[in-house]
Amino acid sequence: MTSFTPYTYFQCPCTESSLPTHRLSDSSPPAENESSDDERTFDPRAPRANYSLYPLEHLFYCEDCHQIRCPRCVLDEIVTWYCPNCLFEVPSSTVKAEGNRCTRSCFQCPICIAPLSVSSVEAPPSGLGAEIATQSGPFVLNCGYCSWSSKEIGIQFEKPNGIFGQLAKVKNGGGPILTAKERRKDREDRKRDFSGSSVSEIREETPEIDVPREPLDPNEKLDAESQFSNLRAFYQSQLADASPVSALGFTGDYGYGSPGALSRIMGLYTGSTAFDKKAKSKSGAMREARDALEGLQITPSSDEEALVKLHAEGWHTTSSCSQRAEFPNSQAQFIDDLRPVAYLLRTKRSKRCKTCRHILSKPESKVQTTRFRIRLVALNYIPSISLKPLSPPTSSSSSSSLLQPMRPVQFLLTFKNPLFDSVKVTLATPTKTPGRFASKVTVLCPQFEVGANTDAWEEALRENGSRSSTSEKRRTKADFLEGQHQAEAGKVWERGRNWVSVVVEVVPASLSFQGPEFLKTEERRQGEGDKEVREDEDVLEIPVFVRVEWEADSAHDEAGGLGASKEKEGKEKRELAYWCVLGVGRIARD
Amino acid sequence: MSNKRQSMMPPAPKPPTSLSSSIVIAEHASLTGTKLIMIGSNTVIHPRAKLNSAYAPITIGSTCIISERSQIGILKEPEDEEEAEPVVIENGVVVEVGAIVEARRVGEGSVIEVNARIGKGAVLGKHCKIGPLCEVAEGEVLPDFTVIFGNGMRRIDNSGVEDLKMKMVARQVEVLRKLIPSNIAKFQ
Repeated sequence: MTSFTPYTYFQCPCTESSLPTHRLSDSSPPAENESSDDERTFDPRAPRANYSLYPLEHLFYCEDCHQIRCPRCVLDEIVTWYCPNCLFEVPSSTVKAEGNRCTRSCFQCPICIAPLSVSSVEAPPSGLGAEIATQSGPFVLNCGYCSWSSKEIGIQFEKPNGIFGQLAKVKNGGGPILTAKERRKDREDRKRDFSGSSVSEIREETPEIDVPREPLDPNEKLDAESQFSNLRAFYQSQLADASPVSALGFTGDYGYGSPGALSRIMGLYTGSTAFDKKAKSKSGAMREARDALEGLQITPSSDEEALVKLHAEGWHTTSSCSQRAEFPNSQAQFIDDLRPVAYLLRTKRSKRCKTCRHILSKPESKVQTTRFRIRLVALNYIPSISLKPLSPPTSSSSSSSLLQPMRPVQFLLTFKNPLFDSVKVTLATPTKTPGRFASKVTVLCPQFEVGANTDAWEEALRENGSRSSTSEKRRTKADFLEGQHQAEAGKVWERGRNWVSVVVEVVPASLSFQGPEFLKTEERRQGEGDKEVREDEDVLEIPVFVRVEWEADSAHDEAGGLGASKEKEGKEKRELAYWCVLGVGRIARD
Repeated sequence: MSNKRQSMMPPAPKPPTSLSSSIVIAEHASLTGTKLIMIGSNTVIHPRAKLNSAYAPITIGSTCIISERSQIGILKEPEDEEEAEPVVIENGVVVEVGAIVEARRVGEGSVIEVNARIGKGAVLGKHCKIGPLCEVAEGEVLPDFTVIFGNGMRRIDNSGVEDLKMKMVARQVEVLRKLIPSNIAKFQ
């Protein structure tokens, strides 16, 4: 709490008007030309302000709209999917088919999320040629960090690669998981068996595949997938029975997804007679699932089992909330219900401006490279603002870094220009900061020009010829050291190649409510009822309206096509205006 | 206390030792103190490992690996009159870089990871694993196969691969034997 780093946030213009900003180049700030309602200063404490203030590093700049773009007014597009563990790119078709998990051998430990490695259960071969010999025997996934191993849940693999595929076929404990196809076949077989109608014929027909099947139990326990598929098959057959051919000519095989089925369902609910009355009369024939074959699961039995297990093995065999969260579809209540977690894929994204659809940022599609093809970040277009106290904190007598109320403090605002053209900056601040505790703010030099971000070498060579700028700089510094230099109104404090510092004087407000009457603002008088300093209300934040003007080369494409004659006059005046918030410091309470 | 300086002085007070002839002990390992230090066969002591028997004797079993900058032995003088309990490290224990072991007993096949710390009088069961930067409090008794990891989280490891792990340690010792020049004579 005591340490406070000054900050600067920039407001994205996208929140100023609800309608999407059109080409607002050369726009005047909205505060000027709109109704009096909008002639307010930006209040950094307003609840909405939270959503529009960003540090400069988070912002983009659209070259086409000539506007700042924040993360809220850009569109994301996924360039590639890749696994963070093996760094293999995953094609989007695989992502759609297999889900957003790595389908190779990358897994996380279900206990501690560390990456799992594949190792053999057998001792590595030793002796002659041990280096060449491949490891044999069953393989397990084990965690180098907490030494969890897939052996604990009874899973072993035959091959050391393609673990994802192998794991998909094995249940915890080693039993096989049926694929959807096998499951369907199994279900149909069982149904035949269960109905008992034609058991004998089938048995006779196919004696070779007559594997001993477990006795059919209408209450048998199903895992989530087979329950789902059973239920789905059941309802599909019910729907098909209810209306063999729908009004639109689709059969029930299409399930819920088909438009025909959807309109039929809608027809059921609205009771409209646009569709056939046949469906209406038949809808009563649907029934619910009755047994495990049809996907019915009665849960209490599993709860009792869990209780017994909890009694027997104790608390430490249960999984924690975060561990369970990895398995939303199954109730992994115990440690041995957990399974290795395949790595979630990551994405590389490109960003587009919402207004003009131009790309603001586009990373190289190769996973291993961190370069960007296009990167229009605001840092390269907007002067950055940094803030520091004018007098070094060591010389100040106050013990803490808190601002003393009612005592003027001077801060140095440094504007650094990233553009290759010099920039005219105009600052505007309200004389009193908004909020219940109004501090007085004065920018001593609200209008100045910041030099271009030219080549540093070039500048150094030029300075050799005329030492005027450096000598000026030195003088100011020397004066400052002597402590005689006073910040003068209307003058820049210090100036460098592409930066300028100006002085801001702040008189922090008193946080006490018993001030003299004339010091009280209107709002404070209203808020008299609640005499507590709210959270972070002691932070002094100054809204600053910044207007930047510069002359840029006009759009390159057009000028290039029209030849040299145009290029000479190809300077275009640009203007950008936005609100910033300077977080200065905390005011001491008295 | 500064071991570096002591080793440079000619009459370095050598602790009484009982070293197996098959151990690998680097010249820059530091054995200090006044009580007995016993090291079993095939154990590897890395350079800059510190074994301090000033307050209690140290016993290290066979096929152990004591890494560099690890500290074995009671570090502080016991407050009351009674003797500090001796430090016993059983067979096949790996003490990683920078770990501090003041335990009464470290069970067979345990691994003490980088910069872990085991307090005075603690007893570790067999095949325990103390994760990096984890701590075991003074006098704590851990059952066999305990794994401490992360932010003090614990579990019992029942993967059943302890034999394999012991074999791997033995193989590691074989490699280290080739890498670390041994100088037993200096410490006898």
